[in-house]
Amino acid sequence: MKTYLRASCLVMLSIFFVAKPVVAELSPISDRGLSEVSGQGGIYLSGDISINELGGPIENAYFGRCDNTEKKCGARFAYRLKENGGWMVLDDIRGNFAFEGLTLRIRKVDSGFGGDGEIFDRDVVELGLPNTVRFNDVQFNMAGSSTARPTDPGFQQTDIFSVEMQGSVVMEGNLLVFPVGNP
Amino acid sequence: MALVRAGGALAVVGWVIAFVPIAGAEMQRLDESALAEISGQSGISVEVELGMTADRISYLDDGKAVQLEGFRVGSAEDPEGRAYHLIMVDIGDDAALNLDYLIEDRRIEFGDVRLAGAPGLSMGGVFFDHNLQGEFSLRSDGAHGGGGYTFDSAYTMTGGRLGYRTNGNEVFLDGITMNVEALGVTLDVVDDVLQLRAPRVVGSWEVGAVRFSGNPLNHGVSTDSGTGTLLPSYGGFAGHYDLTSATDIQAGGRNGQGLRIDNQTEIHSASFLYKDDGNVLALRDMTGHYGINDLRFDVTTDWQGRESLGLTLGALEGELFIGGIEMGAAGKSLGQVNARFVVGDSVFNNERYGNAVYLQGGGNADAGAQGLRLATEWSLKSADLSYSEDGNRVIFSGLQSWGRGDMTVDVTREEVRNGTQFYDGLRIGFEGIRAGYRLNGLRIGSDDAQLQGGTELLLALGIYPAYEFELDGQLTLGPGGAQGEGITVNSDIRISNGRAAIIAAPYDEGNGEISQQGLWISELDYDGHLRGMTVDVNGEGLSIVKGEAWSSMDVGNLRVGDKLSGASFGRFVLQKYERDSSMLLSPGGAGTVCAGGVGASELACESTGGIWEERGGEGMTVTIKQILARAVSDDKKNAFVWETGRKLDANGVPANGTGTRLVLNDIYTGDGVDADGNGLNDNSFGIQTDLAIDVYQTRVVKKQSGADSQGVIGNRGDEKIMDPSAPAGYRYVPDPGETELVNRPLGFAVQANSRFKELSINNIDLVHPSGGAETLVYGVKMQNFDIRANLTATPIP
Repeated sequence: MKTYLRASCLVMLSIFFVAKPVVAELSPISDRGLSEVSGQGGIYLSGDISINELGGPIENAYFGRCDNTEKKCGARFAYRLKENGGWMVLDDIRGNFAFEGLTLRIRKVDSGFGGDGEIFDRDVVELGLPNTVRFNDVQFNMAGSSTARPTDPGFQQTDIFSVEMQGSVVMEGNLLVFPVGNP
Repeated sequence: MALVRAGGALAVVGWVIAFVPIAGAEMQRLDESALAEISGQSGISVEVELGMTADRISYLDDGKAVQLEGFRVGSAEDPEGRAYHLIMVDIGDDAALNLDYLIEDRRIEFGDVRLAGAPGLSMGGVFFDHNLQGEFSLRSDGAHGGGGYTFDSAYTMTGGRLGYRTNGNEVFLDGITMNVEALGVTLDVVDDVLQLRAPRVVGSWEVGAVRFSGNPLNHGVSTDSGTGTLLPSYGGFAGHYDLTSATDIQAGGRNGQGLRIDNQTEIHSASFLYKDDGNVLALRDMTGHYGINDLRFDVTTDWQGRESLGLTLGALEGELFIGGIEMGAAGKSLGQVNARFVVGDSVFNNERYGNAVYLQGGGNADAGAQGLRLATEWSLKSADLSYSEDGNRVIFSGLQSWGRGDMTVDVTREEVRNGTQFYDGLRIGFEGIRAGYRLNGLRIGSDDAQLQGGTELLLALGIYPAYEFELDGQLTLGPGGAQGEGITVNSDIRISNGRAAIIAAPYDEGNGEISQQGLWISELDYDGHLRGMTVDVNGEGLSIVKGEAWSSMDVGNLRVGDKLSGASFGRFVLQKYERDSSMLLSPGGAGTVCAGGVGASELACESTGGIWEERGGEGMTVTIKQILARAVSDDKKNAFVWETGRKLDANGVPANGTGTRLVLNDIYTGDGVDADGNGLNDNSFGIQTDLAIDVYQTRVVKKQSGADSQGVIGNRGDEKIMDPSAPAGYRYVPDPGETELVNRPLGFAVQANSRFKELSINNIDLVHPSGGAETLVYGVKMQNFDIRANLTATPIP
C-alpha cells in the first residue's frame, strides 16, 4: 500500500515539480510580445495584508491584545503527523507585508522565449510577481506542543526557534502554472 | 334622443368597468343629497348593484381556446353579494362625454384558467378586489383627426387585493392603493392598427403587504378564518412613475390569429420601495426608456408540442438608470446602476435562441392539479451594466445570456405531497433548464473606453464571469423573515454539466466571436440545499441568515485555456455545511483608508509608504459570518478533495474515483470553549469577515521598461495615467503631478478584515483507488487569527 501511496504522491507533486523545470528553461517575454497573444486581460493587485496587528479575537489565559506583554497576541497554527502524538506549532504569528503590482491572467505561450514558446504551445495561469514586497515586523515561533490548544489540560510547549522578518524582498518575473500528466 | 344618450353612456360605463383599474372597503356610499353636490351633474346617474357569474369564458384562436372558468364579478367581502357601481354621465359643451364613477367592494375573479387542448390541467385562479373613484372624459378626434378619440382619465383605487391561488393556497398583494392620471390620451385606427398614445401618465402606488395563506378555508381575506390573526407578510411595496408611452395593437399572432403589440415607453421618473417592518430598500431617481417590438399573443403549442398560451417577442431594447440604491436607517446609498440591454434572437453555442414564454397549466406534477408552467426561452443579445459610486464608474460590458427550459409556479404549504416535500410560500421550480451567460470584459469611466479584463473581480460577490449550466430544483419564497415581515427561503438546487469561469478573457475582442479563454471549473455538478434562510431589510441594510445550508460542488476538471479542451489540473470536490451563517449588505464603503501603509493620519500613513485615500460615502459593505458545522453525515460536512491521475474510460474521459485523492476531511469552526456546558465546543463565532468595497482610483506602475501590450512606451516605475487624448487611452508618467494624479486608473478597492477563533481540520488523507486511505495529518487547529487587508484590483488590457 505504501508503494501505491508513494506513486500517487509523485503524480500529484509532479504537477508542481515538473512545472518548475519547464518554466525555468523559458526566457522572459516582453510586454510588447504579449500584445500578439489573444485573450489578454486580467487584474493588477496592490495592497497590504496584516496578521494580528493588534491581536486576535481570543482573550483568555494564553491569548490577549498586543499591548499586554504577558500574553501572546499572534495567531497559532498546530498540526500533528501521528495519531495521539504531539503537535507541531507555528505560534505567535504576526506581521504586515505590502506589495504593488501582482498580476493575474491566463496566457497562451506559443511563441517567444528564444523559440521555446512555440514548442511549449499551451495555456498557463500567469502570476506576475510584484517587483518589491515590503515586510514589517513579520514573526513567528516554531514549537512543539503536547496539546492543540494552549488552554487544554496538560499543555506543555517547547519553543524551537523564532523567525523575524523586516525589510524588502525583490520578486521579479512571472510564475507560470500549468497542468501536466493525467488530470 | 335621451334614450340614445343613455344607451351610449351605458356602453362607455361598461368600458370603464371593464378596463379601468380598481380599489376599497373604507369608502362610503354617497346618498342622494351628496350626489347633488357634485358639480356639473346635469346628465344622468346610473346606480348598479352588480353580481355576475359565468361558468366559462373562452378565447378562441385558430381553433384553440383559453378558458376562464368560475368567472365572477360581485362583492369582495360577501361571496354571495354584489358590487356597488355609481356612474354619473354628462355631455359637456364641447360634446365630450364626461363620467364620474364610484365603485365599491368589487371582486373580479376566476377559479381556473385552462387550455382546451390540455384537459385536467389548470393554471390556477386569480382574484382582484378594489374600490375605485375617478373621472373619465371622452371626446372625438384623436391624434390623426376625426376618426379617433381623445380621453382623460384619473382615478384613485383603495383597499385593493390581487391574488393568485393554487390547490387551496394563496399569495396576494393586500391593501393596494393607487392614484393615476392620464391626460390627453389618444386612440386612433391607422391601417388596421389601433394606436394608443399617452403623452403623460403619472401615478403612485402602494402595496400594504404581500400575504400568504396555506389554509384552504381562506379566500381573499387578510386574516386567517380560523385564528383571526393577520396572515404572514413578505413585506410591502410602494413607488411612483411618470411615463410617456405609445402602443400599437393589431390583429394577427405569430401563426394565424392572435394579437400583436408594439410599444415605446419613456420613463421620466420612477421609484420602487420594498418595505419590511418599516425599514426600506429603495431604488430612487429612476429614468430610462424601452421599446417592445413585435410581441405576439397566440393560443399555440411550445417547442415540445404542448398546448400553451404563447407570448413571443421579436425584440426589446432599452436603458434603465437607477440614481440611488438606498437602505438602512441613515438612508445611505450604494451608488448608481445603469443597464442598457438588447433582447432578441441570437445564436449561442451554435444554437438559435429566441424570447418566448409559453404558459401552461399544471405547475409541479406533485403539487396538485392547479399551478403554472412556463416553458421559457430567452436570448439577451447584449447588455452593459455599470456601477457608479462617488463619481467613479465601472462598466461590465457585453453581458449575454441564453436559456431554454421549464419553470413552474405553485403556491404551496408545508407538507409532503405525492412524495415531494413542499414548503409554505410561492414555489418556483426549475425543470431541465439549459442556460448560460458570459461577460466580455470591463470598461472604465465611459462606454467607449478600451475593453479590459478584470471581470473576475465579480468573484468577490460570488458571481462567475461566465457560466453555462443545466438547472433543476426549486426555490420557495415563504412569508416572514427573522422577525416580523420578510422572506423565508427553502431551496434545493441541482446544477449539472456546468462550466464556470474563474478567470475569463473576452469572447469578442472586436473582430468577431472567439473561443473564450480562461480558468474554468468544468464538468461541474452542484447540489445545494437551504432550509429556513431568512431575508430582511433592517436598520443597517439587507440581512440574510442562512439557517441550515449544505452543498456539494464536484468540479470534474479545473481547466486552463478553453473550457472544453483546456488542460486540466484534476478534479476538485468542495463540500460545505453551515448552520446559522449570516450576511449583511449595507451602504457605504471604507471611507478613509491608508493603503499600503499604516497610520491614522495622512502624514503617518505616507511616512510608512502608504497612500492616504478618501474613498467617499458611497460604496458597499458586506459583513459575513460563516459558521462551519462539524460533520453529521457524508452529505452534511465541510471537506475538500483533490483528485488526479484518473484512469481514462472508453471515451477517453477521466473516470472519477480512479485516481489519487487528497482529502481535507471535516473542516469546522469553533469558539474553543464550552461556555454553555453541554460538553461540546461552542460554535457561534465562526469566520467573521467585513468587506468594504469601493470603486476608486489606484496607483498602477509599469513593471518593465519598453512598450506594453498596447504599444504604449514607458520606463519601469512610471505610473499609468488615464488620458482620453492618448491613442490607447492612457500614458506612462515618471513623476505625475497633481492634475495627473486625479486621473489614475479606476479599480475596485477592498478593505477586508477576516477573523476566527478556531478553524480545525479533523484529518488530511491520501486515498489511492486500490490502496485505500492513509492519514497524513491527524488534525490541524488554527487559532486566534485576525487578518486585515487593503487591496486594490485594477483591470488590465
